[in-house]
Amino acid sequence: MADHDKHDEHGHGEHHIVPIPLYLMVFGILMVGTILTVGAAVVDLDHIFPGANTLVALLIATIKMTFVMLYFMHVKYSPKLIGLSIVGTFLFLAIMFAFTMQDYLTRSIGNFSN
Amino acid sequence: MATNVSAHEHHYHPPGLQHQFEDMGQQQESASIGMWMFLAQEIMFFGGLFTAYLVFRAKFPMAFAAGSNHLDIYWGTGNTVVLIVSSLTMALAVHYAQLGKRMAQVLCIILTMILGATFLGVKAVEYTAKYNEGIVPVTGLNRRTPAGEAQAPVETAGEHKTGATEHAYHNPKGEFQWTDASLAKKAEDAGYLTSAEKAGYYANGVLDANKFRDKVRIFYWIYFAMTGLHALHMIVGLGLMAWLLWKAWLGTYTADYYSPVEMSGLYWHFVDIVWIFLFPLLYLLGRHFGGGH
Repeated sequence: MADHDKHDEHGHGEHHIVPIPLYLMVFGILMVGTILTVGAAVVDLDHIFPGANTLVALLIATIKMTFVMLYFMHVKYSPKLIGLSIVGTFLFLAIMFAFTMQDYLTRSIGNFSN
Repeated sequence: MATNVSAHEHHYHPPGLQHQFEDMGQQQESASIGMWMFLAQEIMFFGGLFTAYLVFRAKFPMAFAAGSNHLDIYWGTGNTVVLIVSSLTMALAVHYAQLGKRMAQVLCIILTMILGATFLGVKAVEYTAKYNEGIVPVTGLNRRTPAGEAQAPVETAGEHKTGATEHAYHNPKGEFQWTDASLAKKAEDAGYLTSAEKAGYYANGVLDANKFRDKVRIFYWIYFAMTGLHALHMIVGLGLMAWLLWKAWLGTYTADYYSPVEMSGLYWHFVDIVWIFLFPLLYLLGRHFGGGH
């Protein structure tokens, strides 16, 4: 039988403890992101191309989410399976958005509109 | 050499280890994969509402912008900051649990709870303001004007729209008192109303405040459904925190066993992430058009 008393170096056990300065740095990034979001929202970026404001807002939100997930939620130090599950979830979310919109955005095309 | 049975009996067992797991690491990993599966379905759950948002915003962007501009940007930004700070204190609670520091852990959980409660308090202030303005869908139905009088206010409202007299406007349905169609007018003048929007806002070929109001009402439905569901998650989170606080106070969580703190942390951060997306999508989407309230 394997010796369970000793800590198994190749096992699941390695708990990574994220240092506090790193947490504070991520916090700083999130605050800067919030300020940038509000700042970018009041500036008219839509004259560059329609929807630019929304694109910038979502880009900042996605970056903020990535930092929260990687550091606050420890995904960076977790098994790859967890990362894969998250990517898979967003893939399904994208499928839901895409399949819904390919219907709604094309309803005014053809003889079906009113 | 002892028999297998006696070897097992003398085998060290960490206090928090359930017997089906090989070691604490495996137990921890199983818990976090389970939690992430739960969060995956939560993402899809909120995803349904985000899809509704996407569909209606794509169809009626100006109505969404008008509704959004009426939300309070200061309360919204403040709440975002509150939630991000609460995420930090939650992360620190996990950090101190990992180090087995009881008091620091308890303090961080208390701070997280205070910040969570602050968020809900601000939400309550915002909801109350919207309720008093009569723009919470459905809630005004009990103020429906009697059948005989229902027509009169609508007629006068239409006539006085351009006039100087401030006449109290009443939605004939008794709910959702929204009169402002200025943003649609502005978009019409600038020529960016799409044909779908025109079909939504126009009656007999001209911009109609009542039809525009009904599209703004869709925005407010989505606003209250999404922020309401988010607030419900916050309330559940506060319940979790209260339980964690009690257990942490008793000194349950040590460097060997802190899974409940970490899993509650994952939940709390998830709720924060939902808000990170709700905030720009609900509060900020039409600010660059100007003319907010």
